[in-house]
Amino acid sequence: MLDVIKSVLAAFFGVQSEANRQRDFQAASPWMFIVVGIALAAVFVLIVAGVAWLAAQ
Amino acid sequence: MKRFALTGICFLLLAALMAGSTYAASINTSTGWNMPPGVTDVSREVYSLHMTIFWICVAISVVVFGAMFWSLFAYRKSKGAKSAHFHENTTVEVIWTAIPLVILIVMAVPATATLKKMYDTSNAEIDILVTGYQWRWRYEYLGEDVSFFSNMSTPRDQIQGLEEKGDNYLVEVDEPMVVPLGKKVRILLTANDVIHAWWVPDLAVKKDAIPGFINESWFLVNEPGIYRGQCAELCGRDHGFMPIEVKAVPQEEYDAWLASRRDAAVAEAAGADREWTMDELMERGAGVYNTYCAACHQPEGQGLPPVFPALAGVGMSVDPEQRAEHIAMVAYGKTGTAMPAFGDTLSPAEVASVITYERNAWGNDTGDMVQPSEIRDLLGK
Repeated sequence: MLDVIKSVLAAFFGVQSEANRQRDFQAASPWMFIVVGIALAAVFVLIVAGVAWLAAQ
Repeated sequence: MKRFALTGICFLLLAALMAGSTYAASINTSTGWNMPPGVTDVSREVYSLHMTIFWICVAISVVVFGAMFWSLFAYRKSKGAKSAHFHENTTVEVIWTAIPLVILIVMAVPATATLKKMYDTSNAEIDILVTGYQWRWRYEYLGEDVSFFSNMSTPRDQIQGLEEKGDNYLVEVDEPMVVPLGKKVRILLTANDVIHAWWVPDLAVKKDAIPGFINESWFLVNEPGIYRGQCAELCGRDHGFMPIEVKAVPQEEYDAWLASRRDAAVAEAAGADREWTMDELMERGAGVYNTYCAACHQPEGQGLPPVFPALAGVGMSVDPEQRAEHIAMVAYGKTGTAMPAFGDTLSPAEVASVITYERNAWGNDTGDMVQPSEIRDLLGK
């Protein structure tokens, strides 16, 4: 699970090592990555909205 | 030896760059190469942001192109350099992703602070409704009962090259927007026909004027002067001929100007109470025609068919039977075309005189007169 989160964050950042990429592609199903990806995207949106809200104070 | 030569070249380049930019910074306001620092606190902030980001770009360019040229030179083929073949390097990739991220955040923080100020239109002391028309601006001082059109005043002969161009060629108007010094002025922007944009670089205001929407902006001028701008959204054939002029004056002068505008409006309305002679109507009509009609229907009434019909020698303006249709056309406009309803915006005297002019100028000889009182009664003004 932690590996999945790290991989999704690496994808957000745009850099991933070849070793991790090989490991991720051993996974039986892509669903874990999709669900974690959507969840973290939502968290990112909330963070940006929060920063904008703080800046507007 | 070669190393020294290379270092020397690099330093020379850098020195030339620095000298050039210092020179550019010192003369940019006089040459117009750079954006103006402007005359408001916000415009100076915008200018300093612009320069900060410019220098960040210069620094990045020096580093990136420096590394590139050095690599090209130091590892050239004639020296037996062999290219390295490797696929990935996570550390390097992380670094070249993280550095731009940090730079962007460093630029975003002060930019956001300035943007917040620019969008804060609260606590304004004066509200001016700015409406874009094809092709002029209208300024309405809300709560002051003052409203007028601001038309370009550059003579046609200068545009056609028959006369030497003046200092304020295409950026001068008959009636400027006048504002008092040291007061926060809020402008509410909209448009009557198509999208325009109200842009005055010295005030750091550039905002779209969109039909059916109200955009807000504000400025507070500390230095007396005349600040010029232009429409910044392509809005039709005379887009380049609807300049903006903002005149910042001391409070007493502003009050006196407001009073004179009110007196002028009263006098203009009173014009509908008396009978005008043919000569009076023709003289006034010629002025109104050249300001409001000539852009489309052309100075000699020849029009620009098929879009803008001719008025000279053809159509309702020479037909004695169609006097009422002609009045309705000017007063109410024509839906679906560029012909606006001038009854909404011009005074009865202006509408009456321009119709009289169109029916009797350029060889048109209906002999019809239209009295301002007739238009006033028609429009119920």
